[in-house]
Amino acid sequence: MMPRSVSGAGTASRAMGERLVAHGLLACTVVAVVALAAVLAVLVREAGLFFADVSPWRFLTEITWAPAAAEPRFGVLPLLVGTAQVAAGAAVFALPVGLMTAVYLHQYAGGRTARLLNGVTALMAGVPTVVYGLFALHFVTPTLRVLWPGIEAFNALSACMVVGLMILPTVTVLSREALESVPAPLLDAGLALGAPKGRVVTRVLLPAASGGVLAAVLIAMARAVGETMIVTLAAGNESRLTWSPFEGLQTLTAFLTQLGMGDAATGTREFQAFFAVGAVLFVGTYGIHMAGRMLVSRSVGRTGP
Amino acid sequence: MNRTASRRDSVGAACRAAAIAVVVGFVVLAAYLGVTASQVVDIDFLRRTPSGVAVTAGIGPALAGTLWLLLLTAVLALPIGIGTAIYLEEYAPRTRLTALIESVAANLAGIPSVIYGIVGLALFVRALGMGPTILAGGCTLAVLALPVVIVSSRTAIRRVPEGLRMAAYGLGATRWQVVRNQILPAAGPGILAGCCAAFTRTAGAAAPLLVLGTATFMSFAPQTPAHPLTSLPTQIFVWATRSQEEFAALAAGAALVLLLLLLAMNLVAALVVRGLKGAFR
Repeated sequence: MMPRSVSGAGTASRAMGERLVAHGLLACTVVAVVALAAVLAVLVREAGLFFADVSPWRFLTEITWAPAAAEPRFGVLPLLVGTAQVAAGAAVFALPVGLMTAVYLHQYAGGRTARLLNGVTALMAGVPTVVYGLFALHFVTPTLRVLWPGIEAFNALSACMVVGLMILPTVTVLSREALESVPAPLLDAGLALGAPKGRVVTRVLLPAASGGVLAAVLIAMARAVGETMIVTLAAGNESRLTWSPFEGLQTLTAFLTQLGMGDAATGTREFQAFFAVGAVLFVGTYGIHMAGRMLVSRSVGRTGP
Repeated sequence: MNRTASRRDSVGAACRAAAIAVVVGFVVLAAYLGVTASQVVDIDFLRRTPSGVAVTAGIGPALAGTLWLLLLTAVLALPIGIGTAIYLEEYAPRTRLTALIESVAANLAGIPSVIYGIVGLALFVRALGMGPTILAGGCTLAVLALPVVIVSSRTAIRRVPEGLRMAAYGLGATRWQVVRNQILPAAGPGILAGCCAAFTRTAGAAAPLLVLGTATFMSFAPQTPAHPLTSLPTQIFVWATRSQEEFAALAAGAALVLLLLLLAMNLVAALVVRGLKGAFR
């Protein structure tokens, strides 16, 4: 009699505890979903108000961006081109070096060298971007100005180089993971046929890992497009259309930081313009990132065990 | 024979050169920071307040602000993020909705942090009337950290072998008993590592805080979350924008302190992860 009633009470309180925990965890999920949905809702609402006022066509085709001017102009093209220039410039520096470093780590480096390189990469990945920005403005730019005296104090070249340095760890780590997913017997077969190692790398390893490497490139590009502090510090923050890497420019992200420095009031078109630019940036980086993640899961599915 | 030998060398040599370039880039960055920062960093630098005169300036308020922000992010983002991950993995039925939540969270982890800044300004600073305070900064950083915490915790929980779960259920364990006694001990190291990555991201975030509106000259360290927003990353930015060399040195000093803080945080986390792994085996 007694044991049963005791165990009965225990079961009841345990069941209640179970329900409490389940409800608590559900509450966490609801809060998280509401918070993330709020981010999307604010962005969509303010951008929607902006595009109700300014036609998307004008937004995408006009070539002057001056939202705070007496006669405001809302042509996002200079910001888009600036962003593309910085991302492309960073890619020129980071992609070959990052990919080759990954190959070196995977194929050539001995244990101790690999540990050292992995440590350096991890440290570089942990450096905040504002620190890279400081390095760009106060070390890389002065150095470049010694080499080319004509270069402006704020220039795209310095920003591109340092954004490249910033995304290097991303390229290296993700490419190395892609290389590691290639089955070793494939490489052994190539070597057994008498092909030199360099040839196995270029003809077997890289083609087999191409999907994962492309994903690494996309995710690194999403980071370069979203990079804010390096560009804000090193490239000026003055919107203009230029092809010269020796002049300054403004990117989508750099423009967004100006919301904190100006005093655009809620509900004005100038305020909403920040969210229109934010929405463009969101769609761009979200899309690139999603494509990259899909490629990762597909290439892992194909070449994995 | 000669041709193939030179070819093998060329690929390997190029890759080695690239690896050396990476190390050189890192060494130059570290040397610049170390040399420049050594002009200003001492114990008093950690206590003094920012000032228009470079020699009397320090990072007291900024350091306190960053510690406040880390605390707020931990209190807000960790329970909610880990709770969400547990619920989605162990409690919720697998539906299209949970798949959607997972995919959106994973991609939100990849969007630029400055976007969280403009949303935080509209939402926390203005609509909810918090003003540019530590609290608004903490809330914004918590939202920024949330997707990373959710995704990395889910990944860690999913790596727990299915057999462990089934064995515990087979012995009659309840759902929470399985989570508390099996899943969390096994997934703990992975969850902690993911949370540490989220923290490194938020502690170094300058752009979202700049957008919220950060105090450039704070003459006192923030004592409560209602005090004006200041932090190490934004202080570095403010000093870096000054053209005088003395202020660049202050910025490098603040950067060095921030890096050491992040490094210490990651080392402690790595040690705890190792300890947890040992305890579980």
